[in-house]
Amino acid sequence: MNTLHPRIRIVWIFRAVILGAIVGAIGVGLSTVFAVSPILPVAFAVFVVILGVIHAILRYRNWRYVVGEDAIYLERGVLTEVRTEVPLVRIQHVDSRRSAFERLVGLASTVVYTAGSRGADVTIPGLTPENADGLRTTLKQLVIDTDGEDAV
Amino acid sequence: MKLAPASIPYRAFQKTASLGITLVFIASIGAGVRLGSPTFLLLVGGILVATVIYEIAYYKRFEYELTDDTFDIRSGVFSRREREIPYGRIQNVDISRNVVQRLVGLSAVNIETAGGGSTEAVMQYVSPLEATRLQQDIRRHKRGESTEHRTGAETDSEQSERHDDEELLFEIAPSELALAGVLSFDPRVPGLILAVFTGSIPFISPIIPVDAPPLVLIVIFAVLLAGGIVLAWIVGAISAVVNYWGFRLTRSEDELRYERGLLQRYSGTIPFDKIQAMTIKDNPLKRRAGYATLAVETAGYAPGQASGRGSEAAVPIASRTRVEALADEIAPYEPPTFTQPPKRIRRRYLARYLIALGVLTAVLYGLATWVVTTWSVPWYLPLLAVVVTPIAAHYKWLHRGYSLGENHLITRNGFWSRETKLVAYYRIQTVIDSRTIFQRRWSVATVIADTAGSLSLLGTDAAAVDIDQQDAQELREELTERLRVALADRRRARSGGFEWLSEDDGEPPAEMAAEQPLDRTTPDETVPDQAVDEQASTDPDESQTVDEQSSTSSDSDAENNDQKQTDQDDSPDSKR
Repeated sequence: MNTLHPRIRIVWIFRAVILGAIVGAIGVGLSTVFAVSPILPVAFAVFVVILGVIHAILRYRNWRYVVGEDAIYLERGVLTEVRTEVPLVRIQHVDSRRSAFERLVGLASTVVYTAGSRGADVTIPGLTPENADGLRTTLKQLVIDTDGEDAV
Repeated sequence: MKLAPASIPYRAFQKTASLGITLVFIASIGAGVRLGSPTFLLLVGGILVATVIYEIAYYKRFEYELTDDTFDIRSGVFSRREREIPYGRIQNVDISRNVVQRLVGLSAVNIETAGGGSTEAVMQYVSPLEATRLQQDIRRHKRGESTEHRTGAETDSEQSERHDDEELLFEIAPSELALAGVLSFDPRVPGLILAVFTGSIPFISPIIPVDAPPLVLIVIFAVLLAGGIVLAWIVGAISAVVNYWGFRLTRSEDELRYERGLLQRYSGTIPFDKIQAMTIKDNPLKRRAGYATLAVETAGYAPGQASGRGSEAAVPIASRTRVEALADEIAPYEPPTFTQPPKRIRRRYLARYLIALGVLTAVLYGLATWVVTTWSVPWYLPLLAVVVTPIAAHYKWLHRGYSLGENHLITRNGFWSRETKLVAYYRIQTVIDSRTIFQRRWSVATVIADTAGSLSLLGTDAAAVDIDQQDAQELREELTERLRVALADRRRARSGGFEWLSEDDGEPPAEMAAEQPLDRTTPDETVPDQAVDEQASTDPDESQTVDEQSSTSSDSDAENNDQKQTDQDDSPDSKR
């Protein structure tokens, strides 16, 4: 079982902080308009950030993935634990991508697409760019080897 | 080939009619345009002429052609578009004709492919004869038979021949049609009525006595509400009857054909190898009367799906035995023996229903106490439903279950509207096992078998909900394993046929490589031996593959069947 790169926590925590900042800004804006004390919205924003940080840490702890002989297996989720098994024959195509956040901390994601209606759900975040490219190439090779005749 | 010449005036009429309505509307709201003024008439005339010219150009520049392996369309007046659609990619071909089109002898042909949110090719309009010819020829090409040298005279004889090899699977009986009408209730209509109603309040309000006692207001409101529901029901009934008038489902050896509609006539084909899943639905009313609904899902975009009517090949209502027989005919499956979730889960459902009732009561109580103080709101009414919650919880548990058949995963869910879903193992895309925080408290999990069916977009995948965590893990592993075995069987059955093709392809872009299989996936258990045998013996082209069959016929019966079918289907591929 592989775990994600620890630095992915920074990305997720950063996202939580931004969300908290947005919530806080809206709250403070509203409180000035209605001329009430801004303590409550600020407290709420801090609460959001704390929740986000806890979520990010738990999320990192629960994330596992493994590329098996004929399937990718992923285990993740904090409130809802999700285990997904993606048979290699079903893979339509594989992307590796890097968002702005991810580039800041030098990470990348690999996205595996299937024809299924939830196909785009299978994203493996928190990989080093080399690992992401490596995973993509490995998957491509495995998919070609397994002879993806039955993708749909 | 060109479109039907009659499509020029029809399309021009269609375009200008909507334009005319818009203009009259603009004039009527008094935007400074008078209907009779010369400039206005000149404008209308100009638009009319321009439309006709455009439609003539459209007709002149629209060409289609059936080549050996693609269906080519060259179209577009200003921006040209040339398309080549490989026959193997075509999911279904639908023909529709409304009343006017039937009078002037036109048909619209829609060609669907997998993926994409819309119809791949829309041909407006061809003659009805040409439409059926296209439908048949595309089918024929898909099987790899050539149609080039056929003349008009032969078409007729082939047409009658086609009807011979078609087997009627289902024809809606008048009583079933009536029942479909009675049982259909379109929930969108009350919303629409409400929207219209709120818009017309300024006109209605003078009629309603504003200073009337609250009781009168309530009565008026209740009457309006009841009227709305009855109207919605009538509209639903009429639309169901109009939609499913003369519904027929037939099968030829490799596809399903449906026909339906009173005012607008639809007909279309669904190849067996494109079927992803089947759903049998019922509710307590239908169950009591012994009726059910059947829907067939494909990976393609099904016309009308956007409007929420679901797959076109749905049997609106038929007796349960007929529906089950039909499903069995399309994809033979053994009667399921459902594994149910653990009994303890009933307490969870009970708690869930009680919480919902509690919240509803609290909201009503809040309303009664703080908002509406003039008259007493019966906030305690929902509490009466507490009595039935144990029954509901029990049925919710009773209906849930999954069954692992020889070739299919069958799941069943729903306390009121019960859905039984059939998914062939080799159609499973991914297997998802999820546990919410609440499910973990009861140590249960949900296993979802995701398919490429288009209905799945609405979140109705085959799911075994709330089964024991241990079972869930086993089920997940079992499903992946069965998928692997089913695929291996299918591949083995097919080996030798066209293995070289995939090597020949070299290394196409990942997306292409993965898309390739679409046209090579073949039906297996969907066609009974008999039909296949007939086909194999009558078609001289098959002699070469028949040998292969006999060499591997030591396989089990089911596989053998699979074998014949796939060989027969694939041989054209290898010849090409």
